Amino acid sequence: MALKAYWGRRIASSLLVLAVVLVLNFFLFRILPGDPVSAIIDPRFSPQAKEELAALFGLDRPMGEQFLLYVKQMLTFNFGVSFLSQRPVWDEIRSRLPNTLILLSSAMAISALLGIYLGVIAAAKRGGFIERLVLWAGAISFSFPSFFIQLVMLLLFAFAMPIFPLRGSVSIPPPPPGWPAMIDYIWHMVLPVSSLVILGFGSWALYVRNLMVKVLGEDFVFLARAKGLPQRLILWRHAFRSILPPIVTIIFLSLPGVVSGAVITETVFSLHGVGRFLLESVTGQDYPAAGAAFFLLALLTVACNLLADLAYGFVDPRIGLERKMER
Amino acid sequence: MRLLHRWSLWALALGAIIAAIGPYFFKTSPEEAVAPPFVKPVWLAKDAPPSLHLTITEEHLERRFLWEYEPPLRFSLKGAMRFEVPPEVAQIVWQTPKGTMVLYDASKKAESRIDLDARDVSFKLALGLSPFQNPMPHLFPATGEYALRLESSEPPAEISLALQVPGSRWGLLGTDQRGRDVFHLFILGIRVSLLVGLSATFIATALGLAFGLSSGYFGGIIDAVIMRAVDVLLSVPTLPIMIVLAGLWGKGLFNLILILSAFSWMSTARTVRSMTLSLREAPFVEGLRALGAPSSYILWRHLLPEALPLLLANIALGVPGAVLAEAGLSFLGLSDPRLVSWGRMLHEAHAFGAFTSGAWWLILPPGFGIAGLCLVFLDLGRHLEEILDPRLRRKAL
Amino acid sequence: MLAKRFLRSVVFATCGIAIFVAAACGVDVDAIRGPKIEELYLVIIRDPDAQLLALEKGQIDLLSDITRPVDIERLASNEELSLSLAQGFHAFFLGFNIRKAPWDRVELRRAIWQAIPRNQLVRDIFSGYSAPLSTFLPPASPYCAEDLEAPPYDLGSARRTLQEAGWRYSNGFLVPPGEDLPLKPMKILSPTAQVAPTTAELAQRITASLRELGLPMDVEPVDFSTLIARLDEHAFDSYVLAWQLSRDPDSLYAFFHSSMDVKGGYNICGIHDDELDAALEALRWAPDEEDARLAARRAQKLLSEKVPMVPIYSRYFVTALRKEWKGAVTTRIATADNVWSLLAMEPEGKMRPFYWCLPEEPRNLNPFTASSAYDWQVLGLIYDTLLTADPETLEDLPWLARDWKVETVSSGDGQVTRLSFILRDDVLWQDGEPFTAKDVAATISFLKEHRVPRFWDAVSDVEAVTVKGNHEITITMKNTSYWHLHQIGGLPILPAWQLASLESWQIWQPIRMIHPQKRNLTMLVGTGPFVFSEYRQGEYVRLVRNDLFWLMSR
Repeated sequence: MALKAYWGRRIASSLLVLAVVLVLNFFLFRILPGDPVSAIIDPRFSPQAKEELAALFGLDRPMGEQFLLYVKQMLTFNFGVSFLSQRPVWDEIRSRLPNTLILLSSAMAISALLGIYLGVIAAAKRGGFIERLVLWAGAISFSFPSFFIQLVMLLLFAFAMPIFPLRGSVSIPPPPPGWPAMIDYIWHMVLPVSSLVILGFGSWALYVRNLMVKVLGEDFVFLARAKGLPQRLILWRHAFRSILPPIVTIIFLSLPGVVSGAVITETVFSLHGVGRFLLESVTGQDYPAAGAAFFLLALLTVACNLLADLAYGFVDPRIGLERKMER
Repeated sequence: MRLLHRWSLWALALGAIIAAIGPYFFKTSPEEAVAPPFVKPVWLAKDAPPSLHLTITEEHLERRFLWEYEPPLRFSLKGAMRFEVPPEVAQIVWQTPKGTMVLYDASKKAESRIDLDARDVSFKLALGLSPFQNPMPHLFPATGEYALRLESSEPPAEISLALQVPGSRWGLLGTDQRGRDVFHLFILGIRVSLLVGLSATFIATALGLAFGLSSGYFGGIIDAVIMRAVDVLLSVPTLPIMIVLAGLWGKGLFNLILILSAFSWMSTARTVRSMTLSLREAPFVEGLRALGAPSSYILWRHLLPEALPLLLANIALGVPGAVLAEAGLSFLGLSDPRLVSWGRMLHEAHAFGAFTSGAWWLILPPGFGIAGLCLVFLDLGRHLEEILDPRLRRKAL
Repeated sequence: MLAKRFLRSVVFATCGIAIFVAAACGVDVDAIRGPKIEELYLVIIRDPDAQLLALEKGQIDLLSDITRPVDIERLASNEELSLSLAQGFHAFFLGFNIRKAPWDRVELRRAIWQAIPRNQLVRDIFSGYSAPLSTFLPPASPYCAEDLEAPPYDLGSARRTLQEAGWRYSNGFLVPPGEDLPLKPMKILSPTAQVAPTTAELAQRITASLRELGLPMDVEPVDFSTLIARLDEHAFDSYVLAWQLSRDPDSLYAFFHSSMDVKGGYNICGIHDDELDAALEALRWAPDEEDARLAARRAQKLLSEKVPMVPIYSRYFVTALRKEWKGAVTTRIATADNVWSLLAMEPEGKMRPFYWCLPEEPRNLNPFTASSAYDWQVLGLIYDTLLTADPETLEDLPWLARDWKVETVSSGDGQVTRLSFILRDDVLWQDGEPFTAKDVAATISFLKEHRVPRFWDAVSDVEAVTVKGNHEITITMKNTSYWHLHQIGGLPILPAWQLASLESWQIWQPIRMIHPQKRNLTMLVGTGPFVFSEYRQGEYVRLVRNDLFWLMSR
């Protein structure tokens, strides 16, 4: 029953976090100087016309009323209408989700798999050439600013050697639906995804290598070696398995953070995605859009945290309640 | 002291020294335009023309010179002249090996102010070129003898004209879009990047330490509040929130450091907290508590020293994050334009088209600078970790 | 070749920095029939690097508004492209807070005007691809009084102006007359690079020249929204800001009339001057063009004496077009991306789609709420207005209206303006229905009744709309102003049947609704040369030729 109580507490505290984020979001954007109406600087737009616009945005109503409306909108997942586009915020987000999801999930999956593999190999070949290579490659991959690598890749592979497209996620005019469209889409995603992989695998490789090196020094590995088990078996079956829980946790915990990384990638490769949307709604003081995007991200983070916990127990049932209680 | 054998420590020391004293070796201000924009480094453009300055005065109404290079990048003629009576004819003539052209016609004008520049659309039109044509090949069509002179029906009462043809190469790393010395900016950039990286990480670590220790040691309500705050901060997207804060607090150096550190203390706090939790239950701490030691003493004398080595490695590994975050913010144009950092340099190179125009001397130095700085700290951090955690040092299978 | 044609017409410029004059290239816009382009893609590319590369790779045919000098120089040497350059309606000003010292002193503002080397700024920052500005209206405006004397750059004379007025120097800094201490440090607010990278640079250069004059100034780069908020609260010393002005001189009233020094108004400098107010009122309520021109001139003359803002530069508008497209119309004020070009252009050889770069996402394509220039880059091809402007002279040209009249008539207790339009009778909506005066009347009434913010200023003064027959409409205003003609003449006209059944215009999404009769159309139905076909967010907007367009040769 302790388990039940534990999950009860976890969920309660998650809800609390969400509530705090919800309230913060409302004020965060409104304490910023200026507002979306005064940001219009066009001498042909008179103060009277601006008042009409403020009324259209609902900015002329009292703060308390605005707040209640905001809370209601967030809780019902009907995020209202974006100031900038005058279209439902949910529509805006939905139209941008596919690109971002595909971009981030494939980049994440490939870079994690690659990084983990390289990390394990490096740890296995301690002191050798391979380890040095992986350590350096990992460090370099981590060290360059993302836009630098991405712009250079764009110039090299889309302009100097035009193998990949320069922009967007579809050719113009668009290919017929079905396979040609699918292949066209993949062709467009190769550069952005591979740039994110190049930028991302390094930290995985370094992290996994560290974990592996520690584990390979543990008694049970010595025992396995003493038993004469083959190297591969020891490496993947025994050692790697024991570091799987922290890896799975990290995968889940790093998910929300990569959305920030999408901002620059989507800018460089002209992709229609959530990252840009987030940036534009914040800088454009589009309160409903920014509020909704922040709220959804907080929701994602909280969900990922819970999933990480769940996965931890799932991957390694031995580590039960006591470890969890500690967190 | 194994650390003394690491290249990264020495590289860092070198970087710090350059950051500290490097800027003093330059005579000019970094803001100053030293050459035309986007000129190549001296060692790359050996044949590029050097600077040329000529003056025309009452005594010397003609200047001749020999030009043996490719056309220069800039050409400007400034000054004034005055006649006692408006002259019938008065022209400033430019003679090239391929012919002559009139640069300025002052006929029938008693006083003229001359301010010509080859970049002006009006100047190009006056030469009979389109607004988009580069007038320099037209002004310098071949190598040979050139002359600048005043041809007038009567001598001027006063004349002072200066022809400026700045050189098309500069320094070790050329110039940027404003004609500033890239090498100078690069050296200045070390300073800001190091300062931002180190201080943001220090502050973040100190915050993480303080919150982690108190959360772990005191538990209860303090723990709950701090940990929920950590959860909240971890669940807002970093980059957009930094934009909001930059709008609110301003974008100066210290604001930037504050913003960066405000969003990177959370994981340290979590680590320190779990460490404190396990230490708190350690027999010796329980013993101390039983002996009546105050909590401040226990925290200070026992928990802090245990946590410190870990934090040192944490700092070293955190600096690259801060440096890259600064670069990212700068790339999006969100940093103070007066603050020369490598991130800022890359942003300006990008914003002013250096990537497409292939001005690599503007892009590679700051890009590799950032990467180099990060590599140094990563290497340092890894070795600190190895020193602290003997398991990482053990030989392979 | 465009450049050559440009050349032939160039009037030889003699003075140092001549105002760049190019006569028309002899295009008779009346003779243009079209559109010839069958398929038009507006390709959304935000990043300037990607735009440039796409143009060079032939993935777009037309790129408007190229701002970076390196890009212009690079494209100019590209044999496949032709560039066109035009004076724009852009204007960049240095403004002061005249409400407080020392900016309330006119001699200081005049000295500053003399102390800023505008020619050199334009050269250094834009490589010459901008015009130094010395007028309060953009030079392309037909109302711009270009002949008014503007003081040339002369630091010595600026110093003398101040010293003659009683200012003195102490340690290189200025001391106001009758005071003992030099001026306290002050700031120039400048938007950060995110908006326009050159603005920050310009602000720094301007600061440097002001320091040379003896003003202890510093740049304070702030977010755009912060900047606007600070200006609104009057919490500033001075600022720099770029404006997109228009053909008509209405910006003068908005910038400098005392009644505009309110929240949301644009009299940011806070000038309250009776003489100026009188001139601006005469301008705003001018009954006809003649009076308007005189009043505009008088206002500009007063402004150049009182210098409430210092004009710095006006950007040239540079556009690149791939050379295989023939027939583009360019003038000194219009680059190749105008509607005439889109009507006249056709490719060398076989017809193919035309690709035009759209540098931002069109936000919603709802004509009522669309506020960005990018929305209107699309909507402007679908909807027509009553009048249009001549690409050479900017004079009114007939469009949906064949003829028009501006009269001042007595009404009740005063004089009011009455506009009469006679509409073309050969115009069809894109769904085949005839266009009539009822559509115009319905549009004006709808906009007024629903207080649509974007069009509020245009229709708020409409008193009555009368329709005579199918093609005559008279609009009586509540007051006298010549500008009503351009306000009403510039409204996009929507079909009356749509307006009759439209409930919530705020969230109307016409591109997502299928036309009730014509299944191949959406509800975005205009009379313009192109028909909306598809909008793929983040990628492109596809338009096709309107075969019913009234300028198609039938």
